[in-house]
Amino acid sequence: MRVAVVRPQVPFARGGAEIFTDRLVDELRARGHEADLVSIPFKWYPGTRVLTQAFMWRLLDLEEADGKPIDLVVATKFPSYLVRHRNKRVWLVHQFRQAYELDRTELGQFGDSPEDRAVRRKIQDLDRLALGEAKRLFSTSRNVADRLERSTGLASEVLPHPPQELAYRCEGYGDFVLSVNRLDRAKRIDLLLEAAALDPALEVVVVGDGPDRPRLEALARDRGLNGRARFAGRVGDEELAELYGRCLAVFYAPVDEDFGMVPFEAFLSEKPVLTTTDAGGPLEIVTDGRTGLVVAPEAREVANATGWLRAHRDEAATFGRAGREIAAEVTWERALGKLLA
Amino acid sequence: MKVAYFSPMPPERTGVADYSALLLPALGRKLDLEVARRGRRRASRAADVALYHVGNNPDSHGWIVDALRHSPARRPRVVVLHDFVLHHLVAGVTVGRRDGHGYLDAMEREHGVVGRLLAHGVLDKRIPPLWESRPEEFPLAGFVLQHATGLIVHSRTVRALALSAGFEGPIWVVPHPAWPVPAVDPELVATGPTIGCFGVVNSSKRIPELLRAFAGLRERHPAATLLLVGPTSPGFDLDRRLQRLGLADDGLVRESWVDEQRLWALMAGVDVCVNLRHPTMGETSGSVIRSLSLGKPLVVSDVGWFSELPGDVAVKVPVDGREVETLEAALELLLAREDVRSTMGTAAAALARREHDLDRVADLYAGALEQAVGGRAVGDAVVREVSEAAADVGISPKAAEAGEIARRLAEVELG
Repeated sequence: MRVAVVRPQVPFARGGAEIFTDRLVDELRARGHEADLVSIPFKWYPGTRVLTQAFMWRLLDLEEADGKPIDLVVATKFPSYLVRHRNKRVWLVHQFRQAYELDRTELGQFGDSPEDRAVRRKIQDLDRLALGEAKRLFSTSRNVADRLERSTGLASEVLPHPPQELAYRCEGYGDFVLSVNRLDRAKRIDLLLEAAALDPALEVVVVGDGPDRPRLEALARDRGLNGRARFAGRVGDEELAELYGRCLAVFYAPVDEDFGMVPFEAFLSEKPVLTTTDAGGPLEIVTDGRTGLVVAPEAREVANATGWLRAHRDEAATFGRAGREIAAEVTWERALGKLLA
Repeated sequence: MKVAYFSPMPPERTGVADYSALLLPALGRKLDLEVARRGRRRASRAADVALYHVGNNPDSHGWIVDALRHSPARRPRVVVLHDFVLHHLVAGVTVGRRDGHGYLDAMEREHGVVGRLLAHGVLDKRIPPLWESRPEEFPLAGFVLQHATGLIVHSRTVRALALSAGFEGPIWVVPHPAWPVPAVDPELVATGPTIGCFGVVNSSKRIPELLRAFAGLRERHPAATLLLVGPTSPGFDLDRRLQRLGLADDGLVRESWVDEQRLWALMAGVDVCVNLRHPTMGETSGSVIRSLSLGKPLVVSDVGWFSELPGDVAVKVPVDGREVETLEAALELLLAREDVRSTMGTAAAALARREHDLDRVADLYAGALEQAVGGRAVGDAVVREVSEAAADVGISPKAAEAGEIARRLAEVELG
């Protein structure tokens, strides 16, 4: 089968969606399909630029390539699903969240002007139209599916995908708590740093880069975390697997996250996940007292939880192993079986 | 954003008044609403947009149409079209106010010289009033559409009708909101299987066809009961029909007007709800929405908005020469198969939650109104940027490629 996987690309940025779609293409190829990635740069500001950029997808003709038909198009996130195709399937990573639940929060982008309000609504209209055209509609998590149904009335099937391929292993339960994220405000890494300020025994390793890094580094300095909070930046696969393998636990508490592969990566390393009650998607697999700890989104609560894990390493290991069983259920074989059915 | 809101309101006893009473609190949490007093012609100067609920009843909506016609051109005017066929309304605000010329003009504008001649026939009492005899052939919606900058409709059917009537502004399809189901005990009117029909009792609700189908059904299901709830239209002789079909003494339970609480209780007590219609004026049915919320299997006519209901919640009966037989077979199936009733009921309740959720409907309203205010500037900006990019690479406005771009813009309602 000839499959085009479509995704928008923010130049110079790489995150979960990019890892997921790259891997999807690889997995399709590994199963004998002719698969390729189709990408267009995406810039969502200023003003109506988000709409004109979205519209570019509508002009694409992916019915065939080089004289041969494309049998299937798999779209992943806004605005790639505006693409036209007779067999368009959407495996939704997320909608344009600024137009939905992030609106009128500090993470939103639209103001109160009539034009801003209308642009936001237009994005919602585009979603209803473009997602409504899809022959099959999947969401990467229950959280994403629920948001989709609330906002458009469209029902989708929950279809999680495995995390990136790493040499996952467990090398014990060390003294540090690991954070793996793109560094932006929505990921709330400051919660972990503030917790470290409250708990002098807490050591933190922050993996990832992004626009919030200067603020986070300044915060660590201000709180006197010298030596206890290490910003590792982007790391290679082997180093990441090693950090997962050695850490005590993984902290992952974005605001109402879509899905998040980090908990699966932690679980495959047999590590418990510490998250918050408002984290969204991660709560579908992180269960308090079973596969990790779920606390209120407050630094004191996070500090107490990390302290408890340090004092209860056997329980931390039990949580991690329970998580591994959940993660092992999510395979490409199973996911692609449903996607291509 | 400030919205001037024109609608009949309780204690008026109309479907649109009930609708607004349900919608307003939810919409008020999203927008700054100013509800116009009945009879008021002008919206507050501060309003960014005015919203006019328009239905076919001239007593309830005549003043709203007056306000719409007197609204300043600079302010966006969104009409909620509860019915597409507005002939009765137009007759009410013209003929009913001794403005025969207004009626002649409206008929000529939409139906040409033939329309004007027919209108003369009506005014001269040579032919029966068209709003009573053939309204669906002369809907006269243009009388309202010409003053609207945007439309909110409840069905794709009415959207298509408005487009075919030449309306060129934006049209938003917003489902009818569902009422919260009150805590009521089902009221059982019979011990056997019960079919309920809720609403005005008259020919356009296909009551004659329903009675004939039920009479046939009773021959094989003597324990079945038909519950008819709603006032009888003047001139509709229900009793004579019942006598003729042998249903006068047995098998039928009749309730006229009932209050809201009792309506829910009676509906909760039936096994199947029937809601038939022909001709349709493009309306939705509050009774059907209630029945979906209660998770009742439905039998409807395959017309208008009713045709748009998903097949897993309603059996749709075509209005044709075999209507009675099809209806009888549908009722037979539903009475005989508890599993089918259960599956359809579950799907109905899910549809009500998903599609007709009040907060979702209010959000769709807010979206429509926000686009009515700012959408034009946004659309213009998008078209300008796309056009400039096309011109930069030498695509002239008359080139085939420009046509393709325009088609794609229209497809996603950006141009």
